[in-house]
Amino acid sequence: MKFRTFAAFVGPSIFLMLLFIAAPLVSVFTQSFYLTQPVVEIVSEEVCTPGFLRQTCTTETRSQPVLDEDGRVVRETTFVGLQSYRNVLEPQRAWEAVSNFDIGGLLAIDFWKALRFTLTFTLITLPLVIGVGLAIALAVNNAAKMVRGPVIFVSLLPFIITPVIGALSIRWLFVGDGILTRALEWYLERDIAMFAQGWTIEILMLFYRVWHVAPFAFVIFYAGLQTVNTDTVEAAIIDGASRWQRLWYIIVPHLMPLIVFVALIHLMDAYRVFEEIVGFSSQAHVISLQWLTYDFLQPDDSGNRAVSRASASAMLTMIGIVILLIPLLRKTWRDHRGTR
Amino acid sequence: MSGPKALRQPLALRVASGSFLAFWCLLAAFPIFWIAVMSFKAPVDAFAGNPLDVILGPMTRAGGDGLTLIDIVVGVAVLYGAVQVAMRSLPKLVAIDAPWSNPVFRWLVASAAFAIGFVLVFFGLLPPILNAVNGALGLEPVIGLTTVHYQAVWVDNEFWRNFVNSLIVTVGVVTVSLTVGTLAGYALARSGSQLAFWILIIALIFRALPHSVLVAGYLPVFVNSAAILEPILGENAPTLYGQPLAVIAVLVSINQPFTIWMLRSFFMSIPAELDEAARVDGCTHFQAFRWVIMPVMWPGVITTGLFSFLLAYNDFLVTSLLLDASNQTMVPAIAGYFNRETTTTDQVEAVAAAVSITAPLFLLVMIFQRQIVSGLTAGAVKG
Amino acid sequence: MKKLLLASAVSIGAIMAASTTAHADCAIQNDVELSSLTAGFEAWKSVTDAMAECGNFSAELDQEFRTKQPAAFAADPSLYHIGGVSNGTVTPLLNEGTIRPLDDLVAAYGQDLSPNQLIRIDGQIMAVAMMVNTQHLMYRHDIFDDLGLDIPTTWDEVIVAAEAIQEAGVVEYPLGGTMKAGWNIAQDFNNMFLGFDGSFVNDDGTPSVNTDAGVNALEMMARLTEFMDPEYLVSDSTYVQQQFQQGTIAMANLWASRAAAMDNADESQVVGLVNTASAPIAMDGGAPATTLWWDGIVIASNITDEEAEAAFQVALEGIDTDMVTENNEDAIWLISGYEPNRLAEGAIATATADPAPQSYPSSTEMGLMHTALGNQLPAFFTGELSAEETLEAIEAEYLTAAEEAGIL
Repeated sequence: MKFRTFAAFVGPSIFLMLLFIAAPLVSVFTQSFYLTQPVVEIVSEEVCTPGFLRQTCTTETRSQPVLDEDGRVVRETTFVGLQSYRNVLEPQRAWEAVSNFDIGGLLAIDFWKALRFTLTFTLITLPLVIGVGLAIALAVNNAAKMVRGPVIFVSLLPFIITPVIGALSIRWLFVGDGILTRALEWYLERDIAMFAQGWTIEILMLFYRVWHVAPFAFVIFYAGLQTVNTDTVEAAIIDGASRWQRLWYIIVPHLMPLIVFVALIHLMDAYRVFEEIVGFSSQAHVISLQWLTYDFLQPDDSGNRAVSRASASAMLTMIGIVILLIPLLRKTWRDHRGTR
Repeated sequence: MSGPKALRQPLALRVASGSFLAFWCLLAAFPIFWIAVMSFKAPVDAFAGNPLDVILGPMTRAGGDGLTLIDIVVGVAVLYGAVQVAMRSLPKLVAIDAPWSNPVFRWLVASAAFAIGFVLVFFGLLPPILNAVNGALGLEPVIGLTTVHYQAVWVDNEFWRNFVNSLIVTVGVVTVSLTVGTLAGYALARSGSQLAFWILIIALIFRALPHSVLVAGYLPVFVNSAAILEPILGENAPTLYGQPLAVIAVLVSINQPFTIWMLRSFFMSIPAELDEAARVDGCTHFQAFRWVIMPVMWPGVITTGLFSFLLAYNDFLVTSLLLDASNQTMVPAIAGYFNRETTTTDQVEAVAAAVSITAPLFLLVMIFQRQIVSGLTAGAVKG
Repeated sequence: MKKLLLASAVSIGAIMAASTTAHADCAIQNDVELSSLTAGFEAWKSVTDAMAECGNFSAELDQEFRTKQPAAFAADPSLYHIGGVSNGTVTPLLNEGTIRPLDDLVAAYGQDLSPNQLIRIDGQIMAVAMMVNTQHLMYRHDIFDDLGLDIPTTWDEVIVAAEAIQEAGVVEYPLGGTMKAGWNIAQDFNNMFLGFDGSFVNDDGTPSVNTDAGVNALEMMARLTEFMDPEYLVSDSTYVQQQFQQGTIAMANLWASRAAAMDNADESQVVGLVNTASAPIAMDGGAPATTLWWDGIVIASNITDEEAEAAFQVALEGIDTDMVTENNEDAIWLISGYEPNRLAEGAIATATADPAPQSYPSSTEMGLMHTALGNQLPAFFTGELSAEETLEAIEAEYLTAAEEAGIL
């Protein structure tokens, strides 16, 4: 394919990605090394606010940005190097904690706390999603033709439902004296508060994610199972291979590219975990890396955003995902070299 | 042949696999079933502690709304019939249709017709008939059920506006995403160059980016776009904030990496000889694409399209930040119910809205379930 | 109020694209195309509905307003003419000069406004308040009567009453608390901290929460949590309101704007059983441990004077006596014609107490402090850090943020 033709075909797609993904990314990258601040002055002014019947006026000293002639805030941008990264990572405090073997101390720092959760979340859900997805696929493949349609339909529901709504629907079942919390209490004969401590919330979040993503893995694997070569299976049976051996030596290798695909997609999505934090309001106990960035970016009542720290934490998040993806990227690279 | 015999499974395995499947289906459907039940109850019942109260809804029944036995039997029968039609007859109908247009269009018409038909029968035709029957037989309701929340959501709060907005955004995203994506996917599948490889890798990394990082950067640019674009477009420079078109562009871009990967692996499974033959016959690349590839690419495109649909339909982060009230889509609108200084009634209304959002997705999966599987089987996913 | 945003990736936009034709209820005929951006709660809905009666007006009620408002008002021309703010959210608009002084407009059209409603910053009228809100005590008077308990006026008495109620076995957890991690828990701390006469920052902008007042506030809060449902770190105002409605708690320090819900027969099982009283005091001679809030309207700078004039007139129609008589229960209105009902007693007692509680101190520093508090306080309640360590962590986060924001 000539370059010009190639460019014409990919052009629109590349243009969109450059404009809406690459450009913001570059700006985030630069912002993480700079600090943009308004020039402030300290003012002392009388502020009158209503009581129910009469006003109270107080004199307040506070800082306020300086405005130029056009009424716009004067801002200064300074190069701060890695300062924003240091603010996020707090390397000194982290190092102290590590050298004292004080895990609690390390996890008291937001970034490390978020990293801890994000990694455990990603790495625990990964095998679960693949395992459950594969199990459902095998079971459906095993089921009578009659029931397959409805079963596939029901199985896909958790995947298609709007994530925010899915998370809320599970939360309602457990929050306070939710219906399932009561069931558990009745079963275990003890008082349970699912949202009172970190680990139960974490379990709920893991459960939600597996519930939500396993159907995706299932449908991909199920599609893969339809193309298993029956000749090979029959040959194996003649050779006396047991059911497990057939599964392990024929079916799993056949599905391997799909397993890699699902793993790849899931790694990326799980590493971005965010809806769960909001849906289960877990920020008192566990937070994730994307939530940390989001939180830095949320303006408070007086309109402050920690843009530099947000950029730094975003870049660190990105570095993390690239590291996680390296094994898979290397495999793609080898395949690419091989096929050429 | 020992095959069939050896493939036959011992009873224990079949029971185990069957009960696992039953358990999973219960797990998959229960939360959704539960919010659906809640949405039909008076607030006191919906948040009652006793599960039976939630299902039977004594307070709701006391309020005079409920279903009689006949209602339940007939309702279930009609639902079952509808599911059968959607899953079995509809795909066949679409398949027989003459080749005067592309399958995507045919599917759209068929799904829309089905949806409208269902709504007419289930909500228009059934209630008056059943009311008459119940009145004649003098039956008392056994299950409390009220549709006031749905009325509040759809009529009083004009939720249909959000529905229309969602439709615009979703259709826009799916169309643009597939158009742009098939072209790129095809080129990437047919070109073995280093450049193509690196584009794919970079797309993969883009796919992994946390969205909140990107999205926050858009807001100031979109709000001030009139001023920014003025040197280029002159007086007519638009304010992009609040424009569905702008949101469509953003969502398409965010989803583009996934789309091109899916479509590329799908095109890889179409033999290259096919279009090479056409090229030998003197077609340009584009002509080969148009006349040789397009007719065979639909299964993969439909599957990829479904994923785009889900992304656009379910998106919250982008739509909530970049759209104003008059163009708000459904998901952010729903969140508004929760975060108003909320009353319990608001919450049940939010649940009703949530169920309303889920209904079209139901329909979608019901109709396209086979296409998803066959599309994936055909090779949209090859790792 | 950051609570709403956090609960968000779940948040936003109630929708009232209410472009209606002129209505008989509006005294003026508005011919200028106007729009507003406000929060989405009930009081704003009533007010913007009343504005819409004047014609050519479209209202946007949006829970993301706090994210959008600064950017939308900074655009030239501003995307909206009228803004709805509270004492918390007015700060960025003031700082960036995107709202205009209203002195001339008030002189020309504001005869019906009471002086109490005019928010003056350095002598200039920058906003017109329409309602006040505050967190104050709500309690189940039936339970208190049955057990012969007095209405607590201090937090120590609250604990005594809670013990008595728990002992009598009336409810399992007598207290409700709006202590959801983030904005809510920080606000609860603010109340208690001010009740112990603390001050958040020194005059030079450095933090001063790691003080006796801070430790006292944390210890008092920790004592209170013993009487709360253990899931208090996810409980926001709506949750506490539901606890009341379902009869599972006996008292709470809750927003005045929530009081009307207690008597809503559709959702509440305790209609007529909840009374309100002044927010308890934390120490002898102190002010009630709470803050006062107001909500009101502002007019954008980046619009023409004609538009501003029309916008101000329409806004006044939205907050006139007619609107209040129609929607008396929606809020503690500051507008003449408001008739306080039984449930408004607590808010009024709180606001008129002597010494009176402070207005929520709105400033860049306070915004940063509020965020730092919301992020760090949960560690104390989960037992990871001691009171002093928590306050230290709060000060550290505040310092980092303040340096980044350029105020230190």
